[in-house]
Amino acid sequence: MIEFLAASIRIATPILLAALGGILSERAGVFAVGLEGMMLVGAFGATIGTWASDSAYAGLVLALVGGAAMGLVVSVVAVRFRADNMVTGLAANIVALGLTSYLMRIIASSGAPIAIHNTLLPVLPIPGLVDIPEIGPLLFAHPPLTYLTLILCIALTFLLNRTQIGLTLRATGENPEVVYASGLNPLLVRMLAVIACGAVAGLGGAVLSMQQVGTFTDSMTSGRGYLALAALIVGRWTPWGAAAACLVFGAAEAFELRLQGFGVPVSSYVVQMVPYLIGLAVLAGLGRNSRMPAAIGLPLHRDR
Amino acid sequence: MSDPSRAVAAAFPARLLAFSGRRQGLGVNIALALALSIVCAAILIALAGRSPLAGFLAILDGAFGSAHQIGAALNRSTPYLLSGVGVAICLRAGIINLGAEGQIALGGAGAAAAALAIPNAPPVVAIVVALAAGALAGAAWSGVAAAIHLGRRVHEVLVTILLNFIALLLVQQLLAGWLGQVGAGFLQSPLMPRGAWLPKMPDFDAHIGILIAVVAALGAWFLIWRTPFGFGLRVAGASRLAAAYAGFSRSQLTWGAMALAGALAGLAGGVEVLGIHRRLIEGFSLGFGFKAVTVALLGATEPLAIIPAALFIGFLETGSLAMQRQIGVPTALVTVIEGLTMIFVLVAMAARRK
Amino acid sequence: MPPLLEMLGIVRTFGAVRANDNINLTVQSGEILGLLGENGSGKSTLMKVLYGMLPPDSGDIRFRDAPLDAKSPFDAIKAGIAMIHQHFMLVEAMTVTENILLGWPGGGQVLKHKQMAEHIRQASRRFGLDLDPDARISALSLGRRQRVEILKAILRDAELLILDEPTSNLAPTEVRELLDIMRRLRSEGKGIVFISHKLPEVLDVCDRVVVLRAGKLAGEAAVASISREQLAEMMVGRNVPMPRVTEGEHRRGALRLSVRGLSATGLSAITFDLRGGEILGIAGVDGNGQLELAEALAGLRPVTDGIVLIGDHDATQASVTARVEMGLAYLPADRSHTALVKAMTVFDNLMLRDSRRPPYGTRALLTPKTGVARARDLMAQYDIRAPGVDFVVGQLSGGNQQKVVIARELSRAPTAVVAHQATWGLDPGATRFVLDQMIALRQQGAAIVYISSELEEILSISDRIAVMAGGAIAGVTPNRNVDLRQIGLWMSGRHA
Repeated sequence: MIEFLAASIRIATPILLAALGGILSERAGVFAVGLEGMMLVGAFGATIGTWASDSAYAGLVLALVGGAAMGLVVSVVAVRFRADNMVTGLAANIVALGLTSYLMRIIASSGAPIAIHNTLLPVLPIPGLVDIPEIGPLLFAHPPLTYLTLILCIALTFLLNRTQIGLTLRATGENPEVVYASGLNPLLVRMLAVIACGAVAGLGGAVLSMQQVGTFTDSMTSGRGYLALAALIVGRWTPWGAAAACLVFGAAEAFELRLQGFGVPVSSYVVQMVPYLIGLAVLAGLGRNSRMPAAIGLPLHRDR
Repeated sequence: MSDPSRAVAAAFPARLLAFSGRRQGLGVNIALALALSIVCAAILIALAGRSPLAGFLAILDGAFGSAHQIGAALNRSTPYLLSGVGVAICLRAGIINLGAEGQIALGGAGAAAAALAIPNAPPVVAIVVALAAGALAGAAWSGVAAAIHLGRRVHEVLVTILLNFIALLLVQQLLAGWLGQVGAGFLQSPLMPRGAWLPKMPDFDAHIGILIAVVAALGAWFLIWRTPFGFGLRVAGASRLAAAYAGFSRSQLTWGAMALAGALAGLAGGVEVLGIHRRLIEGFSLGFGFKAVTVALLGATEPLAIIPAALFIGFLETGSLAMQRQIGVPTALVTVIEGLTMIFVLVAMAARRK
Repeated sequence: MPPLLEMLGIVRTFGAVRANDNINLTVQSGEILGLLGENGSGKSTLMKVLYGMLPPDSGDIRFRDAPLDAKSPFDAIKAGIAMIHQHFMLVEAMTVTENILLGWPGGGQVLKHKQMAEHIRQASRRFGLDLDPDARISALSLGRRQRVEILKAILRDAELLILDEPTSNLAPTEVRELLDIMRRLRSEGKGIVFISHKLPEVLDVCDRVVVLRAGKLAGEAAVASISREQLAEMMVGRNVPMPRVTEGEHRRGALRLSVRGLSATGLSAITFDLRGGEILGIAGVDGNGQLELAEALAGLRPVTDGIVLIGDHDATQASVTARVEMGLAYLPADRSHTALVKAMTVFDNLMLRDSRRPPYGTRALLTPKTGVARARDLMAQYDIRAPGVDFVVGQLSGGNQQKVVIARELSRAPTAVVAHQATWGLDPGATRFVLDQMIALRQQGAAIVYISSELEEILSISDRIAVMAGGAIAGVTPNRNVDLRQIGLWMSGRHA
C-alpha cells in the first residue's frame, strides 16, 4: 500500500509542477496548452546540463532556462502579437518536439541520438520524520525535486492569495483593463506569468529526466503536459486542487502498474486509458460549473 | 450591451477573427512566415556543422529527384490534405479541433476492419466500403468529442486532445485483440485483401488518395463559400452571438463541422491503411493530427490554399529523408520547420488584425 | 485661497475639428461643478486632457497650486485626481477589499486584508457608502459598484473627483443616494466635477455649472442664479428638430404582435398587444429587462412562460429563422457582435439573416449573383456610404453600420419590428435617419416595439409608452399629455 501511494506521488510530481506553472499562466489569462513543450524542453535542458557539466545544479538551471525560453516564445506570440492561445501552445509543442529531438542528434554528430546516462537525483530522507511508521517512508523519503514541488505548492498559494503580485496576476486574468487603470501593465504581467509558467513546467520536465529516467528520449513527456492542463482545470485553478487532481491521475497510473505486476488479466491498453478517462469524466462532471478566469484567452487591446 | 459576460462571449470567438476576415495580402504574409522559418532551419543545419545549401539541395533532390520520389511525396501529402481541410472547416467556425490524430487512427481501424470483413468483395466495392467505414469511424469519434463539448461545455481543445490518447490506446487494444495478426510480434493487423488496395497511378508510385483529397478540398471550398451552412460557419467563427441572431444553431454548426472533420480525418486514416501500409499498424497516425493543424493554418483555413500547403509539407518531409541519408541532418528538422511555420503564420495573421 | 483646479485656455484639435477651443475652467475645494453639454460638445475631450489621456495643443493646468502636466492617467491619479467612468474599473470575481488593494500604493508586497477591510468600513460609514468589504463585486448592484469606485478614489486621497455621467445607469432611489454622497464629499472639502446632461440633477446638487457647446465655452453660472430653461438653451443654443407622430394620423391595422404573460430569465409576465401602424415605446433605466424582452421576442432567449403571437402564428417556441419568416424584424442593441459581423463584408452582413432565402440563396446553396445585385440595390436605397459591397463593415462609421442593419431588417417589409437602442452612439443626423425609418414603417402599417433609454426619442415617436422596471412593465400610458413625473415613478419601480 505504501509502495502504491509512493508510486502515485512519484507519477504525480512532474504533472503537478507543470500544472502549477499552468496555473500562473491561466490565472493571468493565457491558456497553457504549451505545457507539454515547456516540460519537454525542461527535461532536455536538465539532461544536457547535467551531462555537460556533471552538476545537477547546471541541469536544473538549464531546465528552468529552457522552459522559460519556451514561455517567452509563447508569450511573445500569444500575448504580444495576440495570436490564438490554443494554437500557439500547440505550435510551441511541435517546435519543442522537433528541436529537442534534432539537438539530441546533432550533439552526437552521428545522426543518432546521443546516449546519455545521468545518475538519478538521490532520495533525501528527512532525518527523524522518515522513521515515523507507515507515513514516514511515504511522505519523507523522496528525491529533492519532490519536496520542492510541495514547497512551490505552498508558495504559489501564498503568492496568489496574499501578495500584491498574486492579486495583480489574478486581476489580469479577470479584467486586464482594471489592471491597466490601476497603473500597471497587463501585457507585461501576462508575459512574465507565461515565462514563469515555462520555468516551472520546465522543472516538471527535469523531474522526469533527473529523478525518474536519467536521460532524455524523444517526446518523453508523452502527454503529461496535457494531463497537467486537465488537472489544473479540475483543480479549479488552485495549487491544492491541482495537486489533488494530479494525485488521482498518479494513483490511476500506479494502479495500472500494480495490475501488470500481479498479472491480472486486464488489458494494459484499457488500463492506460484510465487517467485520460478520469480527466474527461471530471471535466464533463464540472461542465457548466467550472468558472474560468473571465478574460482567459482574450487578447489585450492593441493600445494597452 | 451592458452585461459584460455577453461581451466576453462575443469576443471569445473573435480571437479567430483573422480566419474569417479580410484576406487580401495574407498570401504575402504567409510567404514571409515560410521564408522566416526556412531561415531558422538554415541556422539549425549550420549548427549541425553542415552546409544549409547542401541540406536544402538534398531536400529538393529527395522530393523531386525521381517520379518515385514525387509519388512518395504525394502519398505523404494525402492524409495531411484530407485532415487539414477538416481542421480548417472547424477553425472557420471558431472550433479548435485538435482531435485529427485520434480520428485518423480510428478511421484507419474502421477501414481495416471493413476491408477484412469482406475479403472477397470486388475491388471497387471493397475500396468504397472500406473508405466509407473509415470516414464513419472518424466521424463517430469526432461526434463523441462534439457531444462532450456541447453537452458538458468542456473546451474542445481539452476534449479532443484527451480523446486522442484514448483513441490511440483503443486502436492498440483492437490490434492486441480481434483485429490483430496472431504471432506477428508487432501490433499489426493481417494484410488487407488485395481488392482493397488503393490503385496506383501509372509511372508514379502514388496511389489515388491524393485525387480523393483534392476533390475533398474542392468540396470543402464549395461548402464554405457557396452554401448557407458554410456561411453559418464563417459567421459563427467571427461572432457566436451574430450566428445565433442570424438563426444558425451553434450546436448544429458544431455537429456538422466536427462530423465533416472527423469523416475527412477518418478518410485520411483509411487511405493511409489501404494505400500505404495495406494493414493497420500501431502508431501509423503518430503526429498526423498536429500536422493537420499546421497545414490548415499554413493554408489560412482556405481549402484551395491548403492543397499547396499540404503538398509543401509532404514534399518537405519526403525530401528530408534524403537530407538525413545524404548529409546526416536529422529529419527532426522538418518538425521544427513545421512548428516554426505555424508560429510565424500565427504572428502574420495576428499582425493583420486591427 | 487659490482654486483646487485651474484649466486655462485649453485648446485641443482633431484634424480640422476644434474639440476644445480656448476653454477655461476652475474648481474650488468643497465645490460641486456641473459640466454640461450635448454629445460632441467637448466635455469628454476636456476631461481626457485633464486626466492625462490626451495632450492639449496649448493651455495650462494648475492643480493644488502647482502646474500639472499629466502624461497618463497615473500621473493624474498620483496628483490627486480620480475619474469615475461610466464603465466601472472593477474585477467582478473579487471582493471589495481585493479591488481596493489592487495596485494599492506603498502597501508592500504582502497584502493586509484585515487592515484594509477596517479602513473600508470606516470610510464607508463616514461617507454613507454602506459597503461590505467582503462582498464580491459581481453580487453588487450598479449603484453599489459605483460607490466602490468612489471609495477607491477617497482611500487614495483624491482631492478632485470627476464623475462621468454617473447617474445614467441608476434607478431614481440610487440617484438620490449618490447625490447625498456627493454632498458629503463636498462637506469633507473634496472638489467634484459632475458631468451630466440631466438638468434636474445638476440643479439639485451643483454649486456652479459650466456649459460647453461645439467645443467652446457657452456659459458659466452659479446654480442659484439660473433657471432650467436658461440652462437648456445654453446647452442647445437652438431647437433640436425631433420628428413627432400624433395619434390618429392614420388608421390602425390588424393585430400584429400579441404578448401574453411572457416570462424568461430576467423577465416577468410581460403583456401587450400591438396593431399595425402603431409604435409602442418602451422606456426605462438600462438593465431593467429591456434586453431580455427584446431577445425573448426575437427568439434568442428561452421563454419560461407565456405566449408570443406574431400575426396569426404562435411564435412562443419558434426559432429565430421561423420568426423572421413570420415577418418579425429585430434591431439588436449590440451592434458590434450581434447585429453585425464587423470582420465580414457589407454583402455578408446584408444577407446575414437571409442566406437561406432568395435572392441570397436557397436552403442548400448560396446564389451570389442575385444576392450581390440585391446588396447593391440596398446600399443605394438606404444610402449606405461604403466603397462597395465587399467592403468590411467594421471600417464603416457607426451611422453607416446601423444603416446596414436597418437595410437588412426593414427591406424584408416586416409586419412587426423590435428595435432596441437603435440610435445608441449615433450622431444627430444618423439618429434622425433611424427615427424617420421607424415612422415610415409605421405609416406602412408595421407594428413596432421601440425600446430605448432615451426618453426624448420615446416621447417623439411612440403612440403608446410602456415603462420597464425590474424585468416587468411598471406602467403604460398613451403618448398624450404624458405625465413625466409618473413615468419617472414607474422607472423607479413603483407600480401604478
